[in-house]
Amino acid sequence: MNSNTVRALATATLMALLGAGCQTVNTTETAQPAFQRNLVSEKRVITDASLARKVQILGVNVSDGPGGFLKVQAEVQNTTRRYQRFAYKWEWFDKDGNLVEGPSSVSIIRQVEGKESLFINGVAPNPSVRDYRLKLYENAR
Amino acid sequence: MNRPLVSTALVVATAALLGGCASSQATYVDPASTRTLSNVGEINVQDWNMAAESMINSLIAKHINSGSVKGSGPDGRAVLAISRIVNNTSIQVDTDMLVKKIRVALLGTGKVVVDITAGLGGPEDPLAAEAKREQQFLGTQKVSGRPDYTLSGKIIENRTRQGNQRESTYVFQMALATRDGLAVWEDEKTITKQGKRAPVSW
Repeated sequence: MNSNTVRALATATLMALLGAGCQTVNTTETAQPAFQRNLVSEKRVITDASLARKVQILGVNVSDGPGGFLKVQAEVQNTTRRYQRFAYKWEWFDKDGNLVEGPSSVSIIRQVEGKESLFINGVAPNPSVRDYRLKLYENAR
Repeated sequence: MNRPLVSTALVVATAALLGGCASSQATYVDPASTRTLSNVGEINVQDWNMAAESMINSLIAKHINSGSVKGSGPDGRAVLAISRIVNNTSIQVDTDMLVKKIRVALLGTGKVVVDITAGLGGPEDPLAAEAKREQQFLGTQKVSGRPDYTLSGKIIENRTRQGNQRESTYVFQMALATRDGLAVWEDEKTITKQGKRAPVSW
């Protein structure tokens, strides 16, 4: 076996090993969607740059139902080519900025394939809620 | 080796051993976080949390937020009673780990009250049930007789194994029915966990 063959084999093995954890997602959707999202302006506080590099929030839209419960939907994208696991948690606030706690304010674990985007939905625990905060955590089991 | 050096080594070793003993001290963990322990063969705190969160969000978003919830309770709130929650898993669980969270959340919406005098295995609060019967008998105060809604459910388990990899799936199913017996809300949450089987110790 000459050195060129060995080099080619080594490169192929390395590429196969590197590619083993990379499975991205192909998507298709209508070019002009029939819906219009009420995207809100957000303030982002990033303390975990590592997570922010991997999983990014593309946008957040908010709606209100007839019952007066705030409904928030965040679109999250895995910017890497690798499968990622993360956790999120909603926090809800009333008009005075007081935290409204409830059994649904817990960390939820999600998985996202490489380059895939998904939606995270949250519903306010009661109609007095006027604002929200979404927290993202890395290293979820 | 001289004697002071040996003594110092012994002191250091004893301190290290004692330090090791201290590590068995319990640590408080936020049950709403992902730091709690989880394993494949059981429904853990995180699983109950995730199942409850999913059911609460679905119930509020699909039914309560539609504005159609009205009932015979105080201020027109709907009266809910808890029906049968079937545990079809191989493990013994207290279904209140799920149901209580849902009840607390529904009460918190301000649209629903829970009747704790109605229940399949007898009233949850016997004193409240007796007081309600008394009120109904004397007719001194308007007391709602039948609940407007009943909540029922089932927990199903599926286990599989491939090599030393184990997988458990727990399916949480819930339904909300009206007095007519019509289901006005139903949902299902599936939680799947994988893990490696622990090596056999001899």
